[in-house]
Amino acid sequence: MTPNKFTAGIFLVFAIVVLGVWIPNDVETGLLEKMRRHWVIGDSLAPTLAAGFVLIGAVLILLFETQDEAQFTMVSAQFVFFLKLVIVILVALSVMRHLGPILVNTYVAISGLDLEYRLLRDMIGIKHIGFLIGGVIMVGGMITVVEGRLSRRALIIGLIWSLVLILVYDLPFEDLLLPPNGDV
Amino acid sequence: MFQWLKTGAAALGIVAATAFGAAAEDWKPAGPVKLMIAFAAGGGADTQARLIAEELEATLGWSFIPEQVTGKGGLNLAAAMKSEANDGTVIGMAVTETLGYNMAASNSGMTPADFTPITTTAGFQMGVVARSDKGWNTMSDVVAAAKSGQDIRFGVMSPRLADLAYLLGKAQGVDFNIISVKGGKAVMNGVNAGDMDIGFMAGIQAKGVAAGDLVNLASALKAPLVQTPDAPTFADMGVEFSADGYFMFMGPAGMPDDARAALANAIKGVVENPETKAGGLIKKAFGGASVIMGGDLDAMVASDYASAGDLLKAASE
Amino acid sequence: MSVLDYIWLGILAVFQGPEAFSIFGLAISITVVMVISGFFLGILVGATPGLAGPVAMAISLPILISTFGYNTDALLPVLGFLIGVMKGATVGGAVPAILFNTPGTPDAFMTTLDGYPMAKRGEAKRALRIAHFSSVSGDTFSDLVLIIGAPFLAIMVERYLDLPEKTALLILSLSFISAVVGGSVGRGLISTGLGLLAVYVGTGEDFYPRLSMGTQTLAQGFPIATSVLGVLIIGAVFKELDELRSDQRASRMKPITTSDTNSALTLAERVKLAPTIFRSAVIGTVVGALPGIGSTLAATLGYTAAKRRHDDTEGGKFGEGAPKGIAATEAANSAVSGANLMPVLSLGIPGNAAAVFLLLAMDSISGFNPSPTVFKFDPVNLNPELVMAFGIFTTMFLANALNWTVGGRVMRTMRFMIRIPKHILLPSVLLLTLTAIYVQETRIEALYFAVGFGVLGYLMRVFGISPLPFVIAFILGAKLEETARQAYAATGNDPWFLFTHPVAAVFVAVSVGVMILTSRKRGSV
Repeated sequence: MTPNKFTAGIFLVFAIVVLGVWIPNDVETGLLEKMRRHWVIGDSLAPTLAAGFVLIGAVLILLFETQDEAQFTMVSAQFVFFLKLVIVILVALSVMRHLGPILVNTYVAISGLDLEYRLLRDMIGIKHIGFLIGGVIMVGGMITVVEGRLSRRALIIGLIWSLVLILVYDLPFEDLLLPPNGDV
Repeated sequence: MFQWLKTGAAALGIVAATAFGAAAEDWKPAGPVKLMIAFAAGGGADTQARLIAEELEATLGWSFIPEQVTGKGGLNLAAAMKSEANDGTVIGMAVTETLGYNMAASNSGMTPADFTPITTTAGFQMGVVARSDKGWNTMSDVVAAAKSGQDIRFGVMSPRLADLAYLLGKAQGVDFNIISVKGGKAVMNGVNAGDMDIGFMAGIQAKGVAAGDLVNLASALKAPLVQTPDAPTFADMGVEFSADGYFMFMGPAGMPDDARAALANAIKGVVENPETKAGGLIKKAFGGASVIMGGDLDAMVASDYASAGDLLKAASE
Repeated sequence: MSVLDYIWLGILAVFQGPEAFSIFGLAISITVVMVISGFFLGILVGATPGLAGPVAMAISLPILISTFGYNTDALLPVLGFLIGVMKGATVGGAVPAILFNTPGTPDAFMTTLDGYPMAKRGEAKRALRIAHFSSVSGDTFSDLVLIIGAPFLAIMVERYLDLPEKTALLILSLSFISAVVGGSVGRGLISTGLGLLAVYVGTGEDFYPRLSMGTQTLAQGFPIATSVLGVLIIGAVFKELDELRSDQRASRMKPITTSDTNSALTLAERVKLAPTIFRSAVIGTVVGALPGIGSTLAATLGYTAAKRRHDDTEGGKFGEGAPKGIAATEAANSAVSGANLMPVLSLGIPGNAAAVFLLLAMDSISGFNPSPTVFKFDPVNLNPELVMAFGIFTTMFLANALNWTVGGRVMRTMRFMIRIPKHILLPSVLLLTLTAIYVQETRIEALYFAVGFGVLGYLMRVFGISPLPFVIAFILGAKLEETARQAYAATGNDPWFLFTHPVAAVFVAVSVGVMILTSRKRGSV
């Protein structure tokens, strides 16, 4: 299978699933709806057309495009490298989201004080810990993935850059929230 | 014995009442308050919410974190708020319609019992508005134009208003082309740009009407409009429903009474004072604040929810 | 209120707005300060390999909004800053293209063809001067056309475009962009379809948020920042890191040193470049004025047109370091940005990523709604939006003036930016982008969405599908559905409204025609 056919095939299947399964089951109103004694456009019409475009596009590629424009070689190295990057990012994001609350809960369990991260998210330091460590993991981790080895330099760059972002986005602006302070 | 019980109960009641009052005065949020706003950032309603928060931060020292949760007539806000903390550190501003018609018409599984209404701030000055260069002075002129064969495009910004527009046409024996858009500002832009002939506006029209560019053709409320008292009401035009509604602060269900009362009183203090920015804005757009809280508000929310079915039924016929 | 009064008020709004500080009793308005800082930031960002103006615009928008608020007063400072970034990045973008053979933006790709060979020949500074001169000329020309043309376009829109015609025009924009930018019609359609599908999640008329799989997470849909930044920026970050992996040479490649001594451009040389620049500026302006088509196409067309007319015996062959090659590309891609604002201001339809962020800023801040009413010259009651429009034009010319005077010099000092290793820059850009998104959306799901769209953007690039149709479709999708619904209701529920209105029918016919013509042309190649 050529890369072109592979690409088209993926989107063909996707479009069929959207049209056949997702839209019929996850939209309340049909293509047209009777409302106030008139036919009006339902919520299904627009997504159906959108998925239709994907379908037509895929069919056009399968039928008419012989020239290969897709630039992938389907080597596993490319896939593994990409997967590593995504994993680093996801780990970093979940650290950002949960580190602060976990630390506070641990402290509560040890000290017995009645505290919640939610109520402390105005305090400098506490409200930054998740973002800081998560940021170090993200930037440092991605540099490490590219360089192939963990270096002190990568972590320091991550640390400095996270601190810069805290300085730029958080400290001067009362209304701006860094992760995870809008979620808790 | 019986007498004694009664006195005791009354005394207890007094104690409870004082305790309640004192507690409400003493109450302050345990941390920063998340303020969810059901309106697009930058619009009039969003500005109102943000100004109220700003004023409370300045006068009471509470801290607010405003956040936009828009869409689906406030139901997105309601769904996001439902499971949040109910100690007064999470509140939101939507409209009474959210817990009324919208909740009743959707099958979202939520009911008003999942929420604690806190207070209203201002009532809609809901008028049917046209550009004055259309030459219409009152709704009957529009009806006459429609009867003479002219297509009338009627802009609305919620399903409930679409129902009302439909019923108004039905009562007058004409068929409006009802155009739904998102938000009152979009109706005003549509009317100004000529994409619509008439449209519902809930207070945003005040400046244009005062300048003579826009005209209030009818009041969609039970009462006449403050700005144009002579315009006929929907009841005058043969529609038994009205678009009465309010901007309302609410929180998740089970909010403690002291928190609820303290928040309501704090907001009331801001919106009823035209010297504050928020109060001034409300005065200009809605002719003044309308504060309904406590048991009155509970009763209103319950009756709005219960009566939504009648409007839905009437509009489907 | 005459036309001149409006222009004068617009200029005053910029220069006499709220004061930032004063020098010797002369008050410097905050808008002026913002234009200047935006401009320098733009050059810096443009000169950084792998970055472009839209990134800086996207990331500064939340900061700008929280500094200046949502009120009308915020409009000119915020838009002034963004316009400064846009213009600075346009000239800055030539730096990595010429010195490093890495276009900072797809628009600058054609610049590498002749810029890099010139630099290798030891004429780097000269190449930068040519790029700067052509870019500024094209940009200024386009702005003039915008100011003269926008009010007329608005009148046309108001007179001829009712709801059915507007619906058809949106369809036309989308079909243009999928046919021309998408790589091929099939790929363009896929990209457009995916963008539309993404924006339809969670929206709709019914109270149930469609396609949300019953979850609260999807009920509010995908925020525009997550999809646009995810596909455009995060997708590009993944793709570039992947290229670093497969092509380790790139990170070790030495940038060109810029030591040419006699780099000045004489008047005679400028005159010689003038016809090329003018031709490209006209091409760029025309392409920019069409809704939905961007600067990459303009650069390609400008370069090709110049190449066709070029006589290889003078000034070197195209592709081997011809000054005219740089001039043709830079004039054309810079000329897009001004004319691009015509459909933005009068219809709200963006043609490229920079316009997208200007439009987002206008949407967030009250007091300016892109529509034909903006250009209503009301002689009795002051039309504040028109004053704002002239204020925006004034900030554009302020940025141009900066560009003519100090832009070239600043641009040439940015050579150091190309020394930052990409594998350090790109992860930092990712964290910055995610932070900017969170600040705007304040929920962690938004970051997962953004990374998800980044994966999609990466895969699209790998599959040879341009992400730009996706982005434009995402931005126009909601508007398309709403306008179609409104047109349908306004015509008294006429399902054939696209065909019963002559202008709309023409637009639809052209849309289909564009699709068929482009696929034929490609088929024969």
